[in-house]
Amino acid sequence: MPYTIDNRPADVRESLYFPEIFQAIGLVVKTFWRNAFFSRDPNPDILERDRTHNRVATVQYPEEKVPYPIGYRGLHRLVPRADGSPRCVACYMCATACPAQCIYIEAGEVEGDPIEKYPVKFVIDELRCVVCGFCVEACPKDAIRMDTGEHPTATYTREGQIYDEKRLLRGPPVSYEKDPWLVRPSRLTDAALAADRAAARPFSSLGADEYSQTPGFSSRTLAAEAKGRSGA
Amino acid sequence: MKRFVGMWLVIGAVLVGLVGLFAAFYALAALGAQAAVALGFPGFFGSSIVNAITLMAVTLMTVAALLTVAERKWSAAMQDRIGANRILVGGKFPLGGVPYLLADALKMLTKESTFPVARSKFLFELAPVLAFSPTFALFAVVPVGPEVRVLGQQVGMWVASPDAGLLWVFALAGLSVYGTTLAGWASNSRVGMLGAVRASAQMISYEVSLGMSLVGVMIAYKTVNLQAMAIAQGVDVIGPIPAIGLLLQPLGFLVFFTSSFAETKRAPFDLPEGESEIVGYFLEYSGMKFGLLFLAEFVEVVILGAITAAVFLGGWHPIFFEGWLKAHLDPVLFGAVCAAAFLAKVIFLTWLQLIIRWLLPRFRYDQIQALCWKLLLPGAIVNVFVTGAAVLADPSLELLAWIGVVEIVAIFGITLAVARPKGAHAGHDAGDAHGHAAHAAGH
Amino acid sequence: MAEEIKPAAAPPKPAGPPGPPPPKNPGMVTFTIDGREAVVKPGTNLIEAAASVGVGIPYYCWHKRLSIAANCRMCLVEMSNAPGGKLMPACQMAAAEGVAVKTDSPKVKSQQKATLEFLLLNHPVDCPICDQSGECKLQDFYMKYDTQASRYDQPKVKLGKRVPLGKLVVLDQERCILCTRCVRFLREVRQNPQLGVDARGSHSVITTAPGLPLDDRYSGNVVDLCPVGALTSTDFRFRGRVWFLSSARSLCTGCARGCNVFLDYMRDGTYRYRPRENEQVNREWICDEGRLSYKHFNDDRVLSAKGGRAAAVAEAARVLSAHAGQGTLAWIASPTASLEDLLAAALVARDGLKLSEVYVGGRPDGWQDDFLRRADQNPNRAGLAMVARAFGMAVKPASELAAAVASGKVKAIWAVGAELPAPELADALARAEVRVVQAVNEGALASAATVLLPASPAPESDGTFVNFEGRAQRFELAYWPRGESLPHWGLAGEIGRVLGLTSRWSSAREVFEDLGRRVADQLPGYAWASLPSVDRRKGIEPLPAGTTDGRLPGHRERMPLDANGNVEWSRLPNP
Repeated sequence: MPYTIDNRPADVRESLYFPEIFQAIGLVVKTFWRNAFFSRDPNPDILERDRTHNRVATVQYPEEKVPYPIGYRGLHRLVPRADGSPRCVACYMCATACPAQCIYIEAGEVEGDPIEKYPVKFVIDELRCVVCGFCVEACPKDAIRMDTGEHPTATYTREGQIYDEKRLLRGPPVSYEKDPWLVRPSRLTDAALAADRAAARPFSSLGADEYSQTPGFSSRTLAAEAKGRSGA
Repeated sequence: MKRFVGMWLVIGAVLVGLVGLFAAFYALAALGAQAAVALGFPGFFGSSIVNAITLMAVTLMTVAALLTVAERKWSAAMQDRIGANRILVGGKFPLGGVPYLLADALKMLTKESTFPVARSKFLFELAPVLAFSPTFALFAVVPVGPEVRVLGQQVGMWVASPDAGLLWVFALAGLSVYGTTLAGWASNSRVGMLGAVRASAQMISYEVSLGMSLVGVMIAYKTVNLQAMAIAQGVDVIGPIPAIGLLLQPLGFLVFFTSSFAETKRAPFDLPEGESEIVGYFLEYSGMKFGLLFLAEFVEVVILGAITAAVFLGGWHPIFFEGWLKAHLDPVLFGAVCAAAFLAKVIFLTWLQLIIRWLLPRFRYDQIQALCWKLLLPGAIVNVFVTGAAVLADPSLELLAWIGVVEIVAIFGITLAVARPKGAHAGHDAGDAHGHAAHAAGH
Repeated sequence: MAEEIKPAAAPPKPAGPPGPPPPKNPGMVTFTIDGREAVVKPGTNLIEAAASVGVGIPYYCWHKRLSIAANCRMCLVEMSNAPGGKLMPACQMAAAEGVAVKTDSPKVKSQQKATLEFLLLNHPVDCPICDQSGECKLQDFYMKYDTQASRYDQPKVKLGKRVPLGKLVVLDQERCILCTRCVRFLREVRQNPQLGVDARGSHSVITTAPGLPLDDRYSGNVVDLCPVGALTSTDFRFRGRVWFLSSARSLCTGCARGCNVFLDYMRDGTYRYRPRENEQVNREWICDEGRLSYKHFNDDRVLSAKGGRAAAVAEAARVLSAHAGQGTLAWIASPTASLEDLLAAALVARDGLKLSEVYVGGRPDGWQDDFLRRADQNPNRAGLAMVARAFGMAVKPASELAAAVASGKVKAIWAVGAELPAPELADALARAEVRVVQAVNEGALASAATVLLPASPAPESDGTFVNFEGRAQRFELAYWPRGESLPHWGLAGEIGRVLGLTSRWSSAREVFEDLGRRVADQLPGYAWASLPSVDRRKGIEPLPAGTTDGRLPGHRERMPLDANGNVEWSRLPNP
């Protein structure tokens, strides 16, 4: 319904100011009473907060963090394989797609493995990053994701914003059925190979859907963790 | 729930602490009086000097300083926020934001004091003092507690009790406009000057209604001495209800409270300052000089709360259980309870001022003047005549009290009355009567 | 009745198809391709004939310098004279008079699509780890002619993914499409058939004879020949992506042949040489040693002078001028420096330092063959001789300088280029009191220098090399001098300025315009603009390396910097 402005001149009651002010005092006093005398629900998910008494909407940021929605582009991570090495094959697609040129890669050769190429160096300068997510889109191996639900943390130096492969490689491993190291002779031991194959799932390139494909690692779980922390 | 209980415990503890504090103040005042007598002066010389320290330098300044923190925390609570909470004592306890007081003071004191080159040097330095000291001196005549006999001395909880009383208040309140005007003028800045002009026009206007609103009180209590007024407010008028100013002069209270609000230059009357957009008379001030102008504002808030409490809210009378308290407590303790009650009223009134500050947007300048000259001043004058007539007709004040009751009921009635039916803006029902049927065509 | 006897009437023409009409353009073959008329010499290959009128026919196995194999089937086209309307391989067919060729008919298109589908049937599609991607014909033609998902759902044939064929070449047998270009190159061009095809069907692989490596001295060319990512270079392998690389037209500095190459670079690093076609010099091959000769541009460089370049230049001029005109000073020039370097240095030597003879340094001789490689490993020995002649300087070998130093006759030397023909010469020259050395790389003479000036190699300047035949060839600047270095002409110019010479040059072009006329009579027909500065292939934006890479904030390309790290705008090329 469109809102129409009522330009009727103020009547006596309104031009006295006081009646409206008294009503407003009642409102503010009620708010004050609620917020000053009752404790705040620290649930970081504001929409799920108990607002029956205290209605403070503040999130105490470093201690409480608002969970981001699925698909939020957070800090990058390099997705590991089952044996802890990165899925990345140093194809430079992300570096090519990156409009901010914040990705630096040096490729190296793996001895004795069909995945011949791996990133010796994989550096992301988060200060240059414009968080566009093109690198995730460009990756042919699902090796770089932005599903951490975190910001790059504040640092005192520029160097602190430069994330190398050691800082980036984290999160649970991901395997797909057609990953070359699962279908070819590889350096994996038989037991590791069997476990990896069991965990592998059919490859899907459904974009954002992939964010939810890693069990136990999503912004939803982060939110649950935060909730658990605040409850404790 | 823990917080609920905790808050009440804190409030109770503060009240109990205040009682103890004022008991100590009474004792100190008595000691001062004894010392004065020993030196051959009248006793009130000593007690006044001690009270000047305990009431003005300690109590008033502490409350004003705490108000800077309270403004943040209370405002936050009114706006569904938390407010300042990042200074943690011992890394853990925010203590309600009180440590911010020290941080603010430290900041103000250590900030670089910049100033315009082309300022008027003497007046530039003088203005903050002129703004601060008259408001500060206002507190001298405020009776915080009753006169009690302690340690063989008759001591009162006030600095001075001149017969002029309220006239002293008017005189000093009128002086404080010099500070703001000079601050704007001496800084040789056109923006500051415009702020100063706005400030002086507003304050002088509201001084008229401020003065006029208290005439009714003077008529009712037949005195201008604040202590005498406080005592007079303890007398029962309708049954057990005492003759407090709010009952006798509801209209006077409204006018006085509004005018005092305008005198403090705070929202919604903050046109002289308007830090965020139109800026004001203290634009060129920084460091502690700015701090002084800033603090003067908070001191004004406390003092005008104190005068309102003294004149309209029964002064230092606890009002409830007063007879019981008087009968069962030691006179000194009773005096301390009265003083604590007074301070509680002051704090309540400052809290009320903060609430009003956050619920009203700033007035337009013509609205400010119209409110003063067209609403408050006529209201105050009518109040003077009505009061005079009622006191003439019934010197026992009972008629005035009934008139007051009628006024209060009328105000509440108007407040609770629904001026405009819901949905009127849609133009379906009541809106038609106002010729807004055209809006309905769109539906 | 004799008149009765008439000669027998000419027999009627035998029934049959009419003979071919006379050629439309006598001496040439005229035919149409996709409706366009093409006139070519008789016997011209159809692919080349089509290219001459701007029609592209895709191919993998065909190469104009190799025999025709016609095994990739990518170039099949429709020809009006084909028996039964069969598609014909364009690489094997010569253009014929009056023929109508179609390369875009539905039949041809479906054939191209089918061919690609077969070629890609067992292809691993590991483009992310393939060095060829970006310049791979499979990628190009797939995007142009195929663009369909594979319909093959069986496991692909697994072959060797990393078969080292030789020192320089690695084979990925899965990516190979068996075009046999590499086999034919070694057999026909090199007459050294080290590669062959083994096994059958989809298990066919390129391989060497068992136990024998691919050790031909020109084996690197098979990497360039390979249209897909099967043969890759061990040297360039995984070092970068080709789309990041920019190409400068340059010259191989490995020997006196002066093979034309593309110098592929990124920011201020050279990544590889690729042969550039020049029918007179190297056709389109280069030797393996030359292919790797770019390494010294990147490694072991002298990049700074003690106390800053300006101070070092002033010091060099001071110590050299102290010996000038007294017969105790000598200069030794390296024939690895460009013509412009040597012109500038010779001017300073003659006018500033009063020298009348030049000693010749340079790299020692290497191996030689009758294909491309020359024993003389210096690219500009002929140029040095021209410069000496132009400035009236006697040319003497470095060994004589060593003897002169040993006898105490020469007390100060100025080395333009630190390369020496024999390692023991460095020790001999180190006995001179004053040793001003302009060095590109660290080395024996550079470390023995009293004043060491950082010099730039070929990619960091424009210039000219004169090869052993006296053929002057231009190369172009790829990236700005690294560190504090300057080309020899720049360093010589700065020394000359301190010595009081009036010449001012800010680019090699200015050096040539100023001094080139002195050698103009020895270089008939040579013009600086023989290499127009167009057609330079730029890679996409060069790779960054985070904020730790030393780039100025806001600069995406590397800018020429002076010793203080400020941009030297004057060194940017004029628009």
